[in-house]
Parts: sequence; C-alpha cells; structure tokens
Amino acid sequence: MLHAALIGSVFAWALISHSGNTWGEHDVTAGAIQATMVNSLPLPPKQRTLDEGVLTSEKPSPAPVQEKEKTEPPPSPKELAIPTKTPPKPVKTAEKAVEPPKHVQPVPVQPTKAVTGETGGIRIAQATMQLKNGTASMTVADKTFGDRFAYYVNIVNRKVASNWYTQEADPRASEGKRVTIIFDISRDGLPSNVRVGARSGSPSLDTSALRALQRVQDEGFGPLPQGDHITVEYSFDYRQQH
Amino acid sequence: MITPVNGAIDLKVTHCIYHKRGMSRTVLNSTPIFARFTLAVATLLILSTSTAQAQDWFKTETSSGAANIRIAVADFKASSSDTQTVPFKGTFDTTLYSDLANAGIFDIVSKSLAPQSSPGTPAEMNLQQWSAPPASAAMVAFGSLGVQGGRLVANGFLFDVKNTQYPQVLAKQYSEDPSEDSARQIAHRFADEIIFRLGGGIPGIAETKIYYVKIAGGNKEIWEMDYDGANQHAITSLGTVTLSPRISPDNSRLAFSSLGKDGFQIRTYSLLLGRMVNFAGVGGTNLSPAWAPNGKDIAYSSSRSGDPEIWISDINGALARRITTFKGPDVSPVFNPRTGSQIAWISGRTGLPQLYIMDVDGSGVTRMTDGGYATSPSWSPNGQFITFAWNRKYGPGAPGGQDIYVMEVATKKWIQLTHDGGRCDFPSWSPDGRHITYANTADGRADHMRIWTMLADGTQKRALTGTGGDMPNWSWK
Repeated sequence: MLHAALIGSVFAWALISHSGNTWGEHDVTAGAIQATMVNSLPLPPKQRTLDEGVLTSEKPSPAPVQEKEKTEPPPSPKELAIPTKTPPKPVKTAEKAVEPPKHVQPVPVQPTKAVTGETGGIRIAQATMQLKNGTASMTVADKTFGDRFAYYVNIVNRKVASNWYTQEADPRASEGKRVTIIFDISRDGLPSNVRVGARSGSPSLDTSALRALQRVQDEGFGPLPQGDHITVEYSFDYRQQH
Repeated sequence: MITPVNGAIDLKVTHCIYHKRGMSRTVLNSTPIFARFTLAVATLLILSTSTAQAQDWFKTETSSGAANIRIAVADFKASSSDTQTVPFKGTFDTTLYSDLANAGIFDIVSKSLAPQSSPGTPAEMNLQQWSAPPASAAMVAFGSLGVQGGRLVANGFLFDVKNTQYPQVLAKQYSEDPSEDSARQIAHRFADEIIFRLGGGIPGIAETKIYYVKIAGGNKEIWEMDYDGANQHAITSLGTVTLSPRISPDNSRLAFSSLGKDGFQIRTYSLLLGRMVNFAGVGGTNLSPAWAPNGKDIAYSSSRSGDPEIWISDINGALARRITTFKGPDVSPVFNPRTGSQIAWISGRTGLPQLYIMDVDGSGVTRMTDGGYATSPSWSPNGQFITFAWNRKYGPGAPGGQDIYVMEVATKKWIQLTHDGGRCDFPSWSPDGRHITYANTADGRADHMRIWTMLADGTQKRALTGTGGDMPNWSWK
C-alpha cells in the first residue's frame, strides 16, 4: 500500500512538473538561444535548382513504366516467302553527296556522380558577383547560351558591376532591397531596351542601376559570340557593409 | 581603369581595415568541461544580445569593384623541328605574355606559378591542372607554333578553365613569312583578339604604334616604334629640328612642325607614299599640329598674325581660319576625339599657361586649370578625360615639379599620375583609353628625355626607349 502510494506520488510529481513545454519558447530567458546568423551571412541570391536533376528537382520523378513481356506469335505459313527462280533486281540507290566535315565540337564530359543540391556542379546561366555594397547577379533567358558562353555572361556581369556606383543609392532607403533590370544585348554587344523588371521600392537604387547600364551604353560588352540578341535579367542587391 | 565616383575620380585602391576588440580566448583552455560549457553558453548569450561588441574580426579590402580576370599563358608548343622554330617561339611567348600583362585588364598568372606543360591542341589541354592552385587561372591561352613549309604557322586557343563543358572561347590560326618581326606581330594580333573578347568590346592596343622625336646630336627626327618599345626605326631624315609628330586617324599621314628657312612650319609626311607631301607654308612660327578625328582638318598654333593663335586648316594647309583672338599665346590644340566638336588647348591669356577648352568655332571658352603652369594636353578617346603636364607650384624656389595629371572634363576634378620622378611632359592617350605614354627626364636634362608608358591610373610605369626620345604620340588604332 505504501509502495503503491509512493509510486503514485512519483508519477503525479513527474506529470505536474513536466507539463509545461519550456523548449523553444519565445522568451529569451527560457533557456533557448536566439541566434540570427543567417541574416548576417552574405548569402548570394537563391540559385535556381536544376530541373532535370533527380535529387535537386522539386517534382517527384515518375517511375519508369514497365511493359509486360509479350511473346511473338509464330508466323503464319502464308507469310513465308516462296523462293522464286528470277532473283530480284538490286535496288539502285542514289550516291550520297559528300558532306563537308562538321566543325568538331568538344565532347562534353558526362558527370559520373549524381548531382545534388549542395554541389557546385550545377552550371546555370547565372553569374553572381560580390561587391563592396551588395551583390550583382544576372541571368540569361537563353539557357543554352549561358552554358555555352559562360565567359561572355561573366564579362557582362563584370562590366555592369564595375559601373554600378553604390554611392548613388541612398543607403538607408535601399538597405536590403533588390532591383531587377532587364535589357537586350544586340549582335554588336550594345545594350538596348533597358527597362526595370522589378522595382526595389527605393527610387535612388533604381536610378543607380539604370545609370550603370547607361555607362556601358557606348562601349557595350563586345560582339555576341553567337546569335542575334540575348535578353539579360540583371539584379542589384544593395547591402551596406558595416 | 579610372571610374569617376560621385564626380570624384576613384582609383579603386581603397584600403580600410576594421578591427574590433574580441574576448580573450585563453580562458577557455584551462577550465573544466562544465565551466567551459557554461562559459560558451554565456558567450553565445552575449553574442546574441550585443552583436556589435563581442566579435573578433577584421576586414581588409583592396577593391570596391569587380576583380580582374585571372589569365594564364602557356608556352606554345613547337609544332615542327625546324631550327628557326625555337628562336621564333621564344619571341612569340615573351611578346604574348607581356602584351597580356600590359593590357591592364588582367591579373596574369606568373610563369613561375603556371604548370610546366605546354599543350599544343585542345586535346592536350588539362583544364584541372590550370584551374588548381597555385595557377588558379580563369582563362588560359595556349597553342602551337612552328615553321612549316617556309611559313610561320601558329594555332592559338583561349579556354575558359571554369567551363569544363564548353571551354573554348577563341581559336585562331595565323600564317606569316618566317621572321622575328612576324612572330612578334602574330603574338600582338592574338593578344589583341583575347583583349577584345575579354575586355568588353574595346580593341587591344598591341598592334598600335608610337611616333616620337629622336634626339640625335643637334637634329631631331621623327621615329616610330611598336607600343611596347620594340622595332624602333626612323621615319624622317630632314636634317633639321622636327617636333611634335601627330599621326592621322587612318595611320596614313604624319603631321609635325619642322624648322626650315622660313622658321617653324607645319609639314606632312605620307606613310603610304614614303615621302613628304605638300602643306601650304605661311609666315610666322607654326607649331603643334592636331588631327581632327574625321581626318579632314588639322588644328595648329600659328603666329602669322603676330600673336600665336589657334588656326584650323584642311590637311593640305588650305582654307586656314583663325579660331582664337585673345592677346597672349595660344598653343597645343587637341580635338575631342569622340565628338570632334571641341578643342582643348593651352593659353597664356592670363599670364602663366593654363588649360582651356572651347568649341571648334571658338565659342564656349572654359578655363580648366586654376593655376600653376600647364602644358601639352591630350584628350582621352572616350572624351571624358584630359591628360596634361602641369607644374602646380610654379615659380622661383617653389616646391614640386612638372608631372602628369588627368582631369575629368565634366567636373574639373583631377588626379596626379606621376610623383617625384623628375620632369614629365607630353602625355598621350592610347586608343583604348587605358594607357598613357609620356616623356620623362629624371635629372631634368632635355637630352636625357626617355619615353615611358603607364596605365591611366598611374600604375605599371615602364620605360620604352633609352635617352633621346621625346614627344610621344600614340596612334589612333
């Protein structure tokens, strides 16, 4: 009897004393620690994931359809050809025109490992550059262009970034804001059709981004390696460094 | 590269070091585990509540803008066993490396850090080798060179090391008569292709020339050299004092001022015909010609009316018209090469010579310098800057000397490019706007003048000639 009461009181005490959930409470003094490290890390803008990658894609990949094995029905005796005495004439084929040897393209090296979201193995048509006061990143709409001519994408990014004077943006109003500029690059490498894709909410930041494009207007980026024009989406992230 | 920031000229060499006091770490090492744990929690709490004070970090910064492209140059592979191949390949490798190093837009991988291999074809290229430290290159130029069948044949490639899937940026083939000079020219052309592709659409200057005055005894003749100081040779042999050579925008004619029996006259020399061509002579002293960017006009200083004034005529000296009408000398005109509608020149109308700009019809005169002694302006190819020689503290016993300055035309803000290196004069912009050539004499003696070149921000200074070179003028292309 005494033992039962003792055990019962131990259980009751345990229930009463552990009923409150102190973990993860909002109160700082509750024992949990608030750390805001992510905000202070200069993370680049989020990169698009590779859609084809099995591990990186958000969509579940469909299971391959397995077809049932079929057995071939035996041929009917009527379908068997009856040998004739006169042999059939050989079919004449027109001579193929000799094609000029195609320009030898470098054989792409196929990755042997599966691509996960954490590796640096994904090559996308985007280049990011860390600047003194913020980040400049660009995306080319034509993905194959960005793959094939990554160096050109880099040059465009570099040139615009070096002509973006972050001092022109109001530091207080622009802090943490992002403006996206869309423009075309014509065959001769000159930017045209410059327009604001997404306003930042800070007019001075928008103007500083447009001015960066104005400064490269005369010289351009050098002739396009391929194609008639490309469309570029260029994002300016303003982040004051303390 | 010079970029004006908020109106100022920013050289992008800001150095700032932030250093904040941190907590002492030695306490943690000698405490028991429990105490260490509580101390760590306490540290974290302090970190989370007062982020500014309890951090131990410092930051250095050398550039506010984007970094330069890091490029490596592999020694080219000898593609034939011809005995001439080896010396030509040596010339080629040296020239290509120095062209890219002098371009001013690259961070070049030193030969001592680059891999020893010399791939001759894309198949022999091992990108991993070049992208790994210590080379850490983003781009690599390589190829093969050799004398085949009496021709000097070179195959050059430029690969983007970071793009393993499609590395090829550039592939070029050159075939020239085998000579030391053509090995150098091939290297210049290949370097210019690389600079054009990676420099954002501005052609390189490796194929450009510099015209200058060679002091030989009592005479001064016009000479020509490659932009890197190689291939120096005479153009004129007039046997007199010839000054201020100026090459026409199409590289076909040379205008200069030459001392004859009528005093100093403007004279022209055709590089296509290889002889002097007529330029109408007039009275007075005629100095410092300047080509309009359309190649149809020449502005110069002429004292035919008694006072040195700026005149403009066509390239044969006809249709001369006077632009300035102030008392006091007006000399050293130079056109704005971008618009052709403005002239910068030196005028002594207020006493000491000062830098002025005006429209080509003589209107809109604006004084640019506020004092000192300014001479020999040269306008940058994009029209944004003027470089000139300036002695800001001029006078008997005044400190300072004559140095090269760059002024932004729109804001009149300037930076000094040379310091304490003796008297500097006659700056001239390169056609890419990234370089300036100038004359310098370390000990102040006029016959010890040498021609130098530097980047337009004043870095990478190096001499191109020995003593006796003066008044350089960079060709337009």
